[in-house]
Amino acid sequence: METIYKIPFAVLEVPPIKIKKPSFIRIPTPMVVFGMVLFSYFLVTGGIVYDVIVEPPSIGSTTDEFGHSRPVAFMQYRVNGQYIMEGLASSFLFVLGGIGFVVLDKANLTGLSRLQRTMLLTLGFFCVIAAFFGSRIFMTIKLPGYLK
Amino acid sequence: MYDKKDHFPTIYKFCRSQFHFVQAQRRFGFTIFPAFPKWLGIYRISIEKQETLLKLIVLSAAAILSFSTRLFAVLRFESVIHEFDPYFNFRSTKYLAQEGFYSFHNWFDSRAWYPLGRIIGGTIYPGLMVTAAALYHVLHAVNITIDVREVCVFLAPLFSSLTVLVTYYLTKELKDVGSGLVAAAMISIVPGYISRSVAGSYDNEGIAIFCMLLTYYMWVKAVKTGSLFWSTLCALAYFYMVSSWGGYVFLINLIPLHVLTLMVTGRFSHRIYVAYSTVYVLGTILSMQISFVGFQPVQSSEHMAAFGVFGLCQIHAFVDYLRSKLTQQQFDALFRFLATVVVVVSVVVGAALTALGKISPWTGRFYSLLDPSYAKNNIPIIASVSEHQPTSWSSFYFDLQILVLLCPVGLYFCFSKLNDHNIFIILYGVTSVYFAGVMVRLMLVLAPVMCVLSGIAVTGILSVYMRNLDVIDTKTRKKKVDTSYPVKNEIATFVILMMTFFLITYTFHSTWVTAEAYSSPSIVLSASQHDGSRIIFDDFREAYYWLRQNTPEDAKVMSWWDYGYQITAMANRTILVDNNTWNNTHISRVGQAMSSPEDKAYEIMRELDVSYVLVIFGGLTGYASDDINKFLWMVRIGGSTDKGSHIKEADYFTPQGEFRVDREGSPVLLNCLMYKMCYYRFGQVYTEQGKPSGYDRVRNAEIGNKDFELDVLEEAYTTEHWIVRIYKVKDLNNRGA
Repeated sequence: METIYKIPFAVLEVPPIKIKKPSFIRIPTPMVVFGMVLFSYFLVTGGIVYDVIVEPPSIGSTTDEFGHSRPVAFMQYRVNGQYIMEGLASSFLFVLGGIGFVVLDKANLTGLSRLQRTMLLTLGFFCVIAAFFGSRIFMTIKLPGYLK
Repeated sequence: MYDKKDHFPTIYKFCRSQFHFVQAQRRFGFTIFPAFPKWLGIYRISIEKQETLLKLIVLSAAAILSFSTRLFAVLRFESVIHEFDPYFNFRSTKYLAQEGFYSFHNWFDSRAWYPLGRIIGGTIYPGLMVTAAALYHVLHAVNITIDVREVCVFLAPLFSSLTVLVTYYLTKELKDVGSGLVAAAMISIVPGYISRSVAGSYDNEGIAIFCMLLTYYMWVKAVKTGSLFWSTLCALAYFYMVSSWGGYVFLINLIPLHVLTLMVTGRFSHRIYVAYSTVYVLGTILSMQISFVGFQPVQSSEHMAAFGVFGLCQIHAFVDYLRSKLTQQQFDALFRFLATVVVVVSVVVGAALTALGKISPWTGRFYSLLDPSYAKNNIPIIASVSEHQPTSWSSFYFDLQILVLLCPVGLYFCFSKLNDHNIFIILYGVTSVYFAGVMVRLMLVLAPVMCVLSGIAVTGILSVYMRNLDVIDTKTRKKKVDTSYPVKNEIATFVILMMTFFLITYTFHSTWVTAEAYSSPSIVLSASQHDGSRIIFDDFREAYYWLRQNTPEDAKVMSWWDYGYQITAMANRTILVDNNTWNNTHISRVGQAMSSPEDKAYEIMRELDVSYVLVIFGGLTGYASDDINKFLWMVRIGGSTDKGSHIKEADYFTPQGEFRVDREGSPVLLNCLMYKMCYYRFGQVYTEQGKPSGYDRVRNAEIGNKDFELDVLEEAYTTEHWIVRIYKVKDLNNRGA
């Protein structure tokens, strides 16, 4: 085997440098990967692929009876279309709901002080309830006949 | 490499889990059933039996619920096959049930794609038809003589009940019994799955989801136990999956991805080695038995990842074996040599084979998943299908509701307790979220994993908070008050009630969505009038049966490709193009005929021996999915080949760039064949109060070209609400020009 190895080095010369892998490059911990997954979930459920392909406006506009153009936040009457802003706002609510449940889980750990626990619980409940009712309201705005 | 933990006898584990459960019961102090009166003392059943009874009740309720919630269309209309693709599957199943498997496998259909014909035996996934025909024969063998149509209509709901059971088993393997039950209950009504498996939607996805989850269940079992038995079962389940749907490519890439992730995170062990080697070898050999798949598993790029990981598995196992035999120094030298040789050889061979064309690159349908803009720029047929559009946020919420909020939580619980099978469900979840974002149709693949992850999430939250509930234990009086946790009991009750409320709203949402959005047969339309009564539009079947009864047997019908399957199945006439869309040039020829003026179109129609032309027109009723709305796709596809290069999309728009059918519309549009066929005699019809005659209710405009006569066609039949219009192509003049 050594003879095969020696062939390229008969022609080439090894330069006298030492390259080490930098120590700050490490395999990421599970929770870091979870954070990256959550960010990609935020982007995908916000309809970023739809935004890139169909290129809708960021917010729609309509003209009222005086001729002024008024902004329209939600593309109504269609489940399969969206404006960019409404997509990102809704996926933010989804991720907020998820984070709320995670915070509720973390609020049960031992060794937390009373203040910390109260804050975590309040944050958790607020996130979950806001996300649930928020996404429900968004859907009602988008589809006026929702749940009728 | 050999782990002592893997030799735990399963019986010991079972006993241990029972013991833990009983302990928890004692801690909680309540049993599932209240105390019976003394004279019913003999009916006090043990904890294990209570647990089994509860599981049985929940699973059977979920299975029955999943079957019944898919029956809205059958109750509102009748048991009829829906949409377009299911009609082809229905026709093939009828053929299979009557002729037998060998003639089905060798079937060449000369009544579609005239004059080319279609080799059906080699271009379909036979799993669905074989399953339905087998069920049909089994039922007939026990003298339950129901028609093939009924078997086809109710097959998808039946398999959804089986999916509920498989989901329970899969989630039980991944986490525990509680999450299994919640996931099973959720998947029974999740709208994302219901949309493709209602009664009447007789399509591949109806059984494919069951096969996919079965394969995943077997794979998780194989990874956990490392036994040859489960790996072989996984390969057999994979074979069933390959026979039922083209989406099997997802499985054959997800399982190697899982193995690769386990290698990267240092969890590779002999269990994974046995499991993956068996599954890959047996699975590939079995998958090549389906003629449609053929030699693709060893030739196409979509399967190369599995092959690569298989090789990597062997190398990794061999390296581990050598490491245990050699000294460190010898091992290092050998490893470096082998690694360089293998990498160089595989790269060179791979590049050479791809350059020579032996390994085909990723095909259009799957390539557009990796690069979503590819279909929009290059393949208009794929881009035109509405199911292939990217997904918006509202589709996610509409199809999944609370599951969208719970999925990250499920991922969190999986990440906090990483093990071999959790990594699998994490990979499945992340990849399917991405693919569902690219194509709306793949929401179907996302729905099961959302249910699994949400089941894990709900059980995670509830089990944490259930423990905080105060135990009403009359025996012990001591109560530990935790100063750092103010109103533990009340908070826990509130969380549990909140979760219950969320799940209840989930059921209301799912049932509403199923009833309103996903239960329409598409072949029968209904609309509600001003006074609230419903009016049924049965025009499609009316037109197809007219064709069946009033045209010669060998008549050729030209229509746009959407209606091809329905025409062959119900009207039993030869057609030019159908939903299979395998020949873009032929479809383009039909598109050219539809977009050209009458005389040019007549040449194309004579060339293709067309005797009848069928168009769908929604202007009278307000039916929006008619051929005028699809017309631009006909122009685009018609102009995409050489013979149609004179057809330019811009000619059909006004100078301002609008698509208009009124007087301002482009003269090319107002004189083309499609326009004339749709609006013949429409100029004399009054459609709405206060509007002039010839008012198109879909485009909301009075049509521009009203009084014209057709030169080369004559009107054969128009249905009651003018939705389907059939024209007969006139023969050549007796005395020439």
